[in-house]
Amino acid sequence: MKALNDLPAWIRWPLYALAGIMLLTLVQTFFSDTERLTQVSTSREMLRWAVPIFLAGLGGLFSERAGVVNIGLEGMLILGMWFGAWGSINYGPWIGLLIGVLGGALGGLLHAVATVTFNVDHIISGVAINILAPAITRYLSDELWASPTTSPSTETPDKIDLLFLGGGNIGEWESPDLLLSIAEREWWFISDVSQLLRGLVTNVHWVSIMALALVPVTTWLIWRTRFGLRLRIAGENPGAGATQGIDIIRYKYLGVIISGGLAGLGGAFISTELSGLFQGGNSAGRGFIGLAALIFGNWRPGGVLVGALLFGYVFGLDLKDLDGTASHALLLVNTVILAGVGAWALTKRRTTDAILAGLLGVGAFVWWISAETVPDWWSNILPYVLVLLVLVFFSQRLRMPAALGQPFRKGET
Amino acid sequence: MAPAIELTGITKRFPGVVANDNINLTVEKGEIHAICGENGAGKSTLMKILYGMQPPDEGTMKVHGDVVEFGSPTDAIDRGIGMVHQHFMLADQLTVLENVILGAEPTAAGGVIKFSEAEAHLARVAEDYGLTIDPDDMVETLEVGERQRVEIIKVLYRGAEILILDEPTAVLVPQEVEALFENMRELKEGGATIIFIDHKLDEVLEISDSITVLRHGKTVASMPNDGVTAHDLAELMVGSELPTPETAESTVTERVGLDISAVTVVDDDRRPVIENISLRIHEGEILGIAGVEGNGQSELVDAIIGTAAVTAGSISLQGLDITNLSVRKRREAGIGYVPEDRHHEGLMLDAPLWENAALGHQTQAPYGSRWLMNRSGMRSQTETIKDEFDVRTPNIDVSAHALSGGNQQKLIIGRELTADPSLLIAAHPTRGIDVGAQAAVWEQIRDARAAGLATLLISADLDELIGLSDSIVVMLRGRLVARLQPDEVTPRDLGAYMTGAATQETAEVH
Repeated sequence: MKALNDLPAWIRWPLYALAGIMLLTLVQTFFSDTERLTQVSTSREMLRWAVPIFLAGLGGLFSERAGVVNIGLEGMLILGMWFGAWGSINYGPWIGLLIGVLGGALGGLLHAVATVTFNVDHIISGVAINILAPAITRYLSDELWASPTTSPSTETPDKIDLLFLGGGNIGEWESPDLLLSIAEREWWFISDVSQLLRGLVTNVHWVSIMALALVPVTTWLIWRTRFGLRLRIAGENPGAGATQGIDIIRYKYLGVIISGGLAGLGGAFISTELSGLFQGGNSAGRGFIGLAALIFGNWRPGGVLVGALLFGYVFGLDLKDLDGTASHALLLVNTVILAGVGAWALTKRRTTDAILAGLLGVGAFVWWISAETVPDWWSNILPYVLVLLVLVFFSQRLRMPAALGQPFRKGET
Repeated sequence: MAPAIELTGITKRFPGVVANDNINLTVEKGEIHAICGENGAGKSTLMKILYGMQPPDEGTMKVHGDVVEFGSPTDAIDRGIGMVHQHFMLADQLTVLENVILGAEPTAAGGVIKFSEAEAHLARVAEDYGLTIDPDDMVETLEVGERQRVEIIKVLYRGAEILILDEPTAVLVPQEVEALFENMRELKEGGATIIFIDHKLDEVLEISDSITVLRHGKTVASMPNDGVTAHDLAELMVGSELPTPETAESTVTERVGLDISAVTVVDDDRRPVIENISLRIHEGEILGIAGVEGNGQSELVDAIIGTAAVTAGSISLQGLDITNLSVRKRREAGIGYVPEDRHHEGLMLDAPLWENAALGHQTQAPYGSRWLMNRSGMRSQTETIKDEFDVRTPNIDVSAHALSGGNQQKLIIGRELTADPSLLIAAHPTRGIDVGAQAAVWEQIRDARAAGLATLLISADLDELIGLSDSIVVMLRGRLVARLQPDEVTPRDLGAYMTGAATQETAEVH
C-alpha cells in the first residue's frame, strides 16, 4: 500500500482502473452470462453520462472551493439545457453551447447574489434555484415552442474518432485502428481493456474532450495561479484573506458564476448532444450526482472525474441492460469491493467499520446469489449508495474547504 | 528624525460608547513600545485605526512624519505597517508559503504564481530577521508558536517595518513567550519598530523600551521603561490596586464530590486522547488543570459532561455512578458547566436572555418540567440571576449577543450556580472578559467553593489557576503528568510541566 501511495497520481489512477477492469473481467468470465461489463457501448455510455456529471461536479468544485455550498447545480444544469437548446436551434451547435454556459452562469449569479451579498443560507438558495429552474424553462418552452416540456430538435456538432487509437481520419487518410485490432484478437482481459478504451476514443463528442482537458487545466488554475490561491482562501479562511486586502466577495462571486457556467455546459451537452432536444426531466438528477462526485472526489478535479466516471459506468451499464443481468453482476463486484474495504478497515483496527463493510458485503452477496436480475431502481440509487459508503468509510480522508457554507460579512473577521 | 508613528487627538465613537477619547501616542523608530490597559480600555480599537481597519472620527495620524489617512489595511501595508492579530489569520489547509504570499503574490503573465521567487523572498526575509520556518509545511501541522512566526513573517514579507502585535503572548506558554521575545529583539536589531499590546505587566516590563497606558479610552501615561514597576503600571491601568484571584483559607472537606477513576477516552481512530486519568475533587475544593490547549482538557470535560464516550474507567458524582448516564441525566444530577467557548456552547446568541437562562436546565424547575416549559418561571428566574450576579442589561428580552463578553459570562455562571449544582466545571471562565467582570467571576467561583461545591477549573491564565486552586494538576498529551501545590509553584514551573520540560516522578493523583 505504501509503495502504491508513493507513486505519482497519473500512474496510480490508471493502475486502480486496470485493477477495476480486472475485477469486472473476472466476474464476467466466471460468474455471469453478461458480456456487457466490458463492452464498447458500455464505456461509451459511461462517458456520455459522466460528462455532464463531471461538469456539474467541477462546477461545484469552483463554488465550494470559494466557500459556497452549491446544491443548486441541478437547477443551473437545467438552465444550461434549455438555453443550450434554444441557442443551438437559433444559432447552431457551438453558439448553443456558449449560450448554455451563459444560462447556467445566470443561475450561478442568482445563487451568488443570494448567498454572498444577502447571506441567505446556501442550501435554501440552492433548493430555490432547483425549484425555479424547471419552472422557468417550462414557461419559456411553452411561450417559444408551444410545448411546456419539449423543444424542436437541436443541431448537433460532429463527433470524432481519435487518431490511431480509434481509427480517426486526417483528410482522406484513415489512421490505423489500434484498439479495434487488439479487441478483435479476443485476448482475455487485454481485449476487455481495449474494448472499454475504444468506447472512450471512438465517436467522441468535442465537449467530452474539452471536459477531460478541464482536469489538468483546473488543477493548474486552482493550485498554481493567483486566482486559485485567492479562490481557495475564500473557502478556507475568508477573514484571513480579507485582512490581506483580498476582495473575498469578488472571488466568491467568480467561483459561483463559473460554477453555474460549468453546470450550464453540462446541461447544454445533454440537450444538444445527448438527446438532441430540450426535454424537461432529461437532467435526470445529474446536477445532484455531480455534487456527489465532488464529495467522492474530495474537492479535487481528478477525484471528481473518477467519481463521475464511476457513476457514469453504473448508469451507462444499466441503459442497455434491459434484463438486468449486467447490473446484477455488479452486485458481485460490490461484494468484492466491500470485502476489500472490510479487510482494509481491519488492518486499521477499525472494527466497527470492518463489521459494517462485512455485513453490507454479505448482503450484496446474498442478493446476488438469490436473484437472477435486479430491478432498475438499483442502478439509479447506486451512485448515492457509493457516496454514502465513501462518507462512512473514508470520511476522515475527506477535506472539505474549512469555511464551506459559512456566511462572510465584509469587515468582520 | 521624525517618530515612526505619531497619533494626535484620536477619537473614535461607537453607538453608546467612546472607545478612544483624544488619544495621543508617539512611537520612536526602532523601539519596542508596549501599549497596556485592561480589556475594553480601547487598545484594540486604536490598533484597528492605526492599521486602517476603521477610520478615526477625529485626530491625525503621522507615519515617519507624513500625515496619512488609511481607507483599508492595504493603505497601512503600503506605508510599511503590518499587524499580527491575536487570533491567527491563517488557513490550516494551505502551506506556510501560500499563507505568507496571499494578497502579495509575485506573478508572471496570466496570474501564474512564481513560487520559486516567492520562496526565495521568504527565505531572505526569514534570514534577515532570524526566523526559521519550512515554507512547504501545511499550517495545520504547526505548533502555536510556529503559527505566530508565520504571522510575523507574513507581515515582514510585505516589507513592513512597523509591526503591531496584538496580545501576542495570550496564546503562548511561558517558554514560547521567551522564544517570541527573542524574535522580537532580533526584529528590533534588524531595524523594525514594534508596537506590542499586552496586559501582562511582567512581560511588558521585560521586553518594552517605552510604555503607554490606556484607561477607559484615554491615554493616562506614556513613559520610557525605566524604573517603572508592575505596581505602578497596575495602578495606572485600573486606577486602583489590581484585583487578584486569591482564595481565602481552605474550605476543602473530606467528602468526595467528583471521583474520576482510570478514565480513558479514544478518538475516531481509536487513539487515546486522554489515558488512564484518575482525579478526585472534594466538596469545597477547587482543582485546577493546567496544560497547553489540546492536551486532553476538553476531552476530559467531555467525558465528565457526557459528550464523549468513556472507553475505560468510571466517573461518579457524590457516590452516584454517572459513567453511562446521558448528558441530561448528568446535568440533573448536579453538574454545572461553564463552557470554554461561550458563543458556541454556552449561549444561543440570537435568543433572549430568559431563554438562554434555561439552557441546560430546561427540564428542571423553575424553568420547566419534563414536557413543558414554564415561561413565567423562566422569566422570574432570569430576573433573579440578573440581580444576583450583576448581569448588566437593559432587560431580559434583549438577545444574548447584545451583552458584553463579561456580562454573557456572568449570565452563564449565574445560570449554572442558581441551579444548585454539586460540581462546577469552569473552562477558561475569564477568557476575553474585562478586569471588572473577571473579579466578579472569581468572586462567584470563590463563593461556590465556600458553599461546598467541588470545582474543576481549567484555565490558560496561570496566575488565575494558581490564585484560585486548592490543588493543581498538569495535563500533557492526554495524561496527568504532575500534581502541584499552588502556594509552592510559579507560572514558570507550571509552564515547564505543561511543555514536558520538567517531569514529576509520580503523578498518581489522589
